[in-house]
Amino acid sequence: MMRYLIIPAVVLVTVVSTGLSLASYRETFEKEFMLSPWAIAKGEISACIQCHTSDSMDSRMQQLVQEWRGSWHAKNNVSCHDCHGGAVEDASMSMSHQRGFKGSPESKEIPEFCGTCHIAIKDNYLDSGHGKTFLDTGEGPSCVTCHGSHDIQQASMDIIGEQLCSQCHSYERAKEMKQALFLVESKLNTISQNLKRLKVLGIATERQEKAYFRNHAGFRTLFHSIDVDAVRAKSSDYTQSLEAIEGEISESFKQLAFRRNFSAYLFLVFIGLSIVVFLLSKSYGQKNS
Amino acid sequence: MWKKFIHWIDVRIGLEELVNKHLRQFKTPKGATFWSTLGFVALIAFIVQAVTGIMLLLYYIPHPEHAFKSVQTITNEIPYGWLFRLIHNVGGNIIVAVIIIHMVHVFLRVSYKKPREITWVSGTLMFLLVLLSCITGQLLPWHQTGFWQTTVTSTIPSFLPVIGEGISSYMRGGESVTGITLSRFFSFHVVILPVFIVGLMLIHVLLIRRQGLSTSPAIEPETEVASPEEFRREPHLDGQPCFPHFSLKRSFMVMVYFTVLFFILTFFPNLFLPPDANIQADPLTTPESIRPAWYFLAPYQIIKTIPNDVLGISLVVIFSIVLLLWPFFDAKDAGRNIRKRPMLLSLGLIVLALWVIFTIWGMYS
Repeated sequence: MMRYLIIPAVVLVTVVSTGLSLASYRETFEKEFMLSPWAIAKGEISACIQCHTSDSMDSRMQQLVQEWRGSWHAKNNVSCHDCHGGAVEDASMSMSHQRGFKGSPESKEIPEFCGTCHIAIKDNYLDSGHGKTFLDTGEGPSCVTCHGSHDIQQASMDIIGEQLCSQCHSYERAKEMKQALFLVESKLNTISQNLKRLKVLGIATERQEKAYFRNHAGFRTLFHSIDVDAVRAKSSDYTQSLEAIEGEISESFKQLAFRRNFSAYLFLVFIGLSIVVFLLSKSYGQKNS
Repeated sequence: MWKKFIHWIDVRIGLEELVNKHLRQFKTPKGATFWSTLGFVALIAFIVQAVTGIMLLLYYIPHPEHAFKSVQTITNEIPYGWLFRLIHNVGGNIIVAVIIIHMVHVFLRVSYKKPREITWVSGTLMFLLVLLSCITGQLLPWHQTGFWQTTVTSTIPSFLPVIGEGISSYMRGGESVTGITLSRFFSFHVVILPVFIVGLMLIHVLLIRRQGLSTSPAIEPETEVASPEEFRREPHLDGQPCFPHFSLKRSFMVMVYFTVLFFILTFFPNLFLPPDANIQADPLTTPESIRPAWYFLAPYQIIKTIPNDVLGISLVVIFSIVLLLWPFFDAKDAGRNIRKRPMLLSLGLIVLALWVIFTIWGMYS
């Protein structure tokens, strides 16, 4: 009897093992998978970081990496070479201009430097009073004045403050701008928090996140024109667009409430069934005894 | 109408005789309590996993670029897809808990002794395969939690000398967790492991039907021969018929299983889905803390606590082998009443206490 059980088991194990072993050697298949971006954990393989955290660097240079690690850029996988260029995986060529290394920008080059990615913001900034003053005099606020350089944090309305703005001019106009931004900004904050909550609860929010990002980026771009009237004029458009996202978020919360209620209904049904079956079981037990 | 239908079936398959022979005349011992039904509950839980798994399989795509999206689609767009996914997710954890409680009950009743050694071995093997199913299943949604749990889990065997690296590489299909690992785990999760589990389940159930349910040594101390030399099935003449008495007990426990399942779904739907389980796997971003599922916390903490990796993994492997072959380690002539065997009782309780302590430690370390 055992012979009849063992033979099929051995055959099954052999077939499965051989199949799996052969699968390891399907080179084309493997390469295709391994070369994909999700294939290998690269971690922090960066010549810039390796060198800047080594003991050969002075403490200020080492500090730059620490500041970057805590930054909004780092959280969004924007690394050294994305701004400064260079060959990130080749230490010997990492600072070669032929490999696109830009180094640190001069003060007057900062708007172009940051504008490589933040294109629309750069254009609005250069058209604004801030940008024109900076271009004309080489002084005045540039990107790093308000946002810092390596320890850049997620931008918020809190950046607009008396301490920072009154370094160059009175706070009154900045205060007016902050008030104009308030409604849309608070909607943006609420949506952002609700999207995070939904995501944690397992709701797919990709589409709403993209719509949120579009509005968020557009509104922040508009702000850099430092034109209070333009911000006020466009605010209603953004409010309308954001309300549409809020509507979808509200639907998602309703769906979650439905799921909870449906599960609760089934929970109560099974509690009821448990009680009925338990009583039946007891009554049969008594009959038997 | 109903009687006609039953008669129609009865003429063709002999339903009445089948029920009489296998349910009414099959007697369960006097000491069969609600705890004795946990094996049946585990069987129902397995069927629930199979049914919900098949429903998920209709929409799931086992490819790194589509797996996460397909699970998101199941949860958010397919009607009642969220229900199947959550039942499968929560059910996978409950089945492990049910089997553990079942094994503790069998151990405390010393029901594994002769002639039930094969029943214990097949049950323990099934438990280990269910754990493997959990390991392979956690990677399939291709989220951050599953990806990094698999990275850790597939590293652990590499601590074993000589064969360790081979096992790790065999699990992953390369040096790291990739699309090959996903294909491999998918095959194991949906075909290979279920086939072996069902095979063992058949053996397990067949043995229980042949030998009959084991008695409670406290209630029926004299009914079983301590060490029978030839096969004999305990008739339990003064016991209760399996149907309806024991079947109602079973049904009650199955209802309790579903009640617990829906209690978790109602009040803690994300109990086994941490926030990182809603983020697509990203090999470039390591989560702040990677912790295995609760049932692996104890071995994980043991390996972490013991400074020598080889010693740590060896302890876990040795424990698994001893657990699997426990009936052959237990004293041959000793009785089945654990109250009269303080050494065995102490050993069981110490192992259980250590397991709980290491689990809690692993949770907060």
